[in-house]
Amino acid sequence: MKLVPDTNADKRIDAGTRRLVRTGVETVLNPFDEYAIEAALQLRDKLADGSTVTIVSMAPESGKEIVRKALAMGADDAVMLSDPGLAGSDVWGTAYALAAGIRATGFDLVLCGTQSTDANTGELPGALAEYLGVPGLTYVRELSVEAGRVRVKRETETGYQTLSAPTPALVSVTKSANEPRYPSLKGIMGAKKKEIKMLALTDLALVKPVGGDGAKTEVVDLAAPPARAKGKTVTAADGADGARQIVEFLKERKLL
Amino acid sequence: MKNVIAFIEHKNGSARRVSLEAATAARTIADALGGKAHAVVAGAGAKAIAETLKAYPLDAIHVLDDASVDKLLDPAVDALESVAKAVGPSLVLVGNTMIGRDVGSRCAARLDAGMTSDVVEFKTDGGRVSCVSPKLGGLTITTCAFRNTEYGVATIRPNVFTAKQSTGAGEIVAIAPSGKTYAVTLEEDVDEAAAELGVEEASVVVSGGRGMGGPEPFKTILKELADAFGGAVGASRAAVDAGWVSHSHQVGQTGKTVSPQLYLAVGISGAIQHKVGMRTAQTIVAINKDGGVPIGEFADLLVVGDAFAIVPELAKQVRDLKAAHA
Repeated sequence: MKLVPDTNADKRIDAGTRRLVRTGVETVLNPFDEYAIEAALQLRDKLADGSTVTIVSMAPESGKEIVRKALAMGADDAVMLSDPGLAGSDVWGTAYALAAGIRATGFDLVLCGTQSTDANTGELPGALAEYLGVPGLTYVRELSVEAGRVRVKRETETGYQTLSAPTPALVSVTKSANEPRYPSLKGIMGAKKKEIKMLALTDLALVKPVGGDGAKTEVVDLAAPPARAKGKTVTAADGADGARQIVEFLKERKLL
Repeated sequence: MKNVIAFIEHKNGSARRVSLEAATAARTIADALGGKAHAVVAGAGAKAIAETLKAYPLDAIHVLDDASVDKLLDPAVDALESVAKAVGPSLVLVGNTMIGRDVGSRCAARLDAGMTSDVVEFKTDGGRVSCVSPKLGGLTITTCAFRNTEYGVATIRPNVFTAKQSTGAGEIVAIAPSGKTYAVTLEEDVDEAAAELGVEEASVVVSGGRGMGGPEPFKTILKELADAFGGAVGASRAAVDAGWVSHSHQVGQTGKTVSPQLYLAVGISGAIQHKVGMRTAQTIVAINKDGGVPIGEFADLLVVGDAFAIVPELAKQVRDLKAAHA
């Protein structure tokens, strides 16, 4: 899971460092990741075979409180990849480092959100599956695990596919999959005792350099978008009048 | 990187428009870099698609025509990876679509490539490629360059680049099958909405919000208006959260980002959550019963009135106009 600025906060990129400003903005759990956590909890409870749910997040140590919220939802423990040397990682470096952290932890199934509300690239799940060397099933709205295989309904732009693959595998979960639970008071209390294991760069034994130095992309320019001017407001006397005014406007703009 | 490779998505025997936009952009960038423009097309009927691609300015069209690997991502990733490795240092272009993001990111991991997303413009100053993308829902325009790598993968925003036909040499080259056994099994592929255009790709999006009051308008008046324009139906988070329409239609921060020529917001107040998903539309027209809604601050035209009366009438007038021009 990823830590992101609050969905409704006014986000900006620092003109000097060219990184997202994370100070003064409330940090929250990436809303897309809540569906993955909920899917993991439901699967664990359904399997009831001793399977456990571990939260994995790459974030500064100050992000512990957010990770604890995921533990309060019901996850068993957590692993944080936390090291100043990871700061400034791009999608490539994030996927590469996360894969190492997840491998070190051990897994049968990796569940993740489809994208984040900040960078919003949607590129992490695919890259992560590759670096883990496992089948990647993305945009999933239903999943089940049986006899060492994961079976999913994967959303497409026009419908869905039913796919299956042997575990270990990676699945990215969409908003249609479930309704994420709110942590209960008992969950919140219990989360305080759960383990958050901290992994530093030295624990990951990465071969390639990551962080800002190893990144394969760099921001070379930042600009404010051209402001959208306030347009005109008209009142429709009735349906036909409203429609006529829109048609006239669209004709002026050569859209009709 | 000198060469540019466009990954071609296709369905029902036609290349997707965003892929043709990628093919055209590939030519422009390759010319600026002094390299070649390639395309990769894989799956059932790929050969026939390749023939149609000859109308676009490509130097080579690489084809894996194999029905057995149709609709699966892994073989497409293998095909793209093998072409990229054969071509050498290159920029790979995919659509910023569900398939494009998957194929692009996976191929990038194999090539240890830099990844940029939602690109709306490429710059090639001094032979170095940089990618311009609106970030944080269009709050900033970010330009990213590649470094520490010989490969770059960019997902391009649909509807921004122009697909233009012109004669290219268009040599067709067969891609050798990978010979791999794939772990993922496709059991079924179901179309729920026949030939429905996705909101990300549509040049006209008609979106409904809380003011629609229920699921019906999404299937009736909004659909009818979208059809009249040849566009797609979108929705605000409020409408999706109420269960009126599926999440695949959602425009906004927790949904999709769209840049159509025309965005029609019906019964949508225009909160920041929604605004960031559609503020880069070329023209925004809003219909709302309340003249004081936030969308009035950035829409090109806000019509204050009864959407349930205006929308069906607008659909009729648009249909009549189109019929008169046909």
